[in-house]
Amino acid sequence: MTLNLPAHAQERLKGLRSSAHSTGVFTSDFSVNEFLLVRKAGFEPIGICVGSCVYHVGIQYGSWGKSQEMDVLSKAMYHARELAMTRMRAEASAMGADGIVGVKLTIKRMEWDENLLEFIAIGTGVVHGEGHKGFRAHDGGPFTSDLSGQDFWSLLHAGYRPVEMVMGSCVYHVAHRGMLAGLGSAGRNVELENFTAAMYEAREIAVERMQFEASAAKAEGVVGVDIHEGSHGWQTHVIEFFAIGTAVLPLEQEIAPEKIADPIMVLSVND
Amino acid sequence: MSIFDRFRKSPEAKAAEQESLHRQADILMNLRAGRVPSGVLERLQGAASGTKPWIATLTPAELGIARSHGLKPIAAVSATCWLHYGWSWTLGHAQGWETALERLAQEARACGANAVLDVKMRTIPLAVENSMDFTLIGTAVKVEGFAPSDFPVIATVPALEFVKLLEADVVPTGISIGAHYEWLTDWRNSANQAWMGNTESWQLSKLWETVRQRAHAQLRQSSQGRGNGVLAHLNFSQMFEVEREQNERKFKEYLARHIVIATTVDARRGTPLPHDFKMAVDMHAGKTPLTGTTNHHQSYATNSSEGAI
Repeated sequence: MTLNLPAHAQERLKGLRSSAHSTGVFTSDFSVNEFLLVRKAGFEPIGICVGSCVYHVGIQYGSWGKSQEMDVLSKAMYHARELAMTRMRAEASAMGADGIVGVKLTIKRMEWDENLLEFIAIGTGVVHGEGHKGFRAHDGGPFTSDLSGQDFWSLLHAGYRPVEMVMGSCVYHVAHRGMLAGLGSAGRNVELENFTAAMYEAREIAVERMQFEASAAKAEGVVGVDIHEGSHGWQTHVIEFFAIGTAVLPLEQEIAPEKIADPIMVLSVND
Repeated sequence: MSIFDRFRKSPEAKAAEQESLHRQADILMNLRAGRVPSGVLERLQGAASGTKPWIATLTPAELGIARSHGLKPIAAVSATCWLHYGWSWTLGHAQGWETALERLAQEARACGANAVLDVKMRTIPLAVENSMDFTLIGTAVKVEGFAPSDFPVIATVPALEFVKLLEADVVPTGISIGAHYEWLTDWRNSANQAWMGNTESWQLSKLWETVRQRAHAQLRQSSQGRGNGVLAHLNFSQMFEVEREQNERKFKEYLARHIVIATTVDARRGTPLPHDFKMAVDMHAGKTPLTGTTNHHQSYATNSSEGAI
């Protein structure tokens, strides 16, 4: 036989159900490549973890001509995400996971009530194949990360491990046109400094909050950060600045920079 | 929370409001003076000294490459210029990005960086009276063993491409912008050839040609002193027809605008790429994390999707 497959795979192909799966079935939302790479990284998926939270977001109006944080909305977005994430993490703890990879955090607005938002956090709980507990977060619970299986493998090979998915949110009201009055700017290109300042303030608040979370998780840095703006059906000038990333720590056995394999340049034949 | 809370402000809310006003005033004052706002400065210096976690927009794969090439991420840096174009939309775009670029360099200097990688262009989807926000976001990095630079390199390319370019003896140095617009007044309505068969609308062709040439000439000029070449990934152009009336005479005017934004590079001619290529099956689904996963700009709708800015 030319087929060079592991014994277990051959048995399964021959139609023999293995009795080796004492732990039962694992569930995951991995793609094939993700699955292979998570296992290559030394981890096994054990189950999909979900946390959700339906949250009634309070009402707050910004003053027409003023740029300011909408603290009621900021707190709501923060608290609701926190609840969803905590519930997901509790599920992972219950199944004995060392971590959750590929966490997707989504927000949906309920059709019938514009102030009702649904927050869903979903990811795949994984355990270290050899029972190594050093990958857990600082509080002994599972690590969380929005990194895909591929990213997870890459991160370990960059000499770091994920600790916690960190985020910072600032819902901000950008002042209306009132600020333009009296500018006398017709015929000139001028900077609207107050608007610039508003952007700086809002973004800074979001980034600082994320950085604070990373500090609290005793992380060395935050990788894969995205700072983006979005609206969840508020007034037109109310925007959420949202910073999100994965807080990381160096591996116990730190990989020396020169040991990190350089990628080989390839021409992908995928498409 | 009682219903009156909406009308009566708590002491904390008042304090927060005061703090916010104070912060905005500080931002304004420092930006006017060409400095980094105090709050930002504190965060950047904290990250530079290691008392606060570093922040990188890099993906883990990019982090690996950065590390193996002696680059250390320091902080996410960002800059904004919200510009009102009372005079010219097109030229405003050049001015807006240039201002943001200068502020980004300030932040990079403030955290002792040698370069800013992965610089992305952002515009928030909020239209306020002929104005737009020009925002740049990137990751400031330090090269191990190098002293901080007074003129940090601003690279719009992701970490992998940055390293690839360096290995090929090419240094990405910054962003250059060329922008030009022109109006064409068509008194005789001759650009309208509805009654003719196949024929070139030479007036409009000419208009396009002039506008594009000037924009590219400006790009060349703007890149001088920043590098000896550009990789112009982003081309954006628009044309409008406007009906006018003057002394009871109806005619049409055409506006053509062209904006080109490019990564400037400093390259030595004739240096060959020191790598071989191999054919491979990519394990990654979709875009590769080695060149980032988010778009490098969302400020312009263009038909090109490849590459950084």
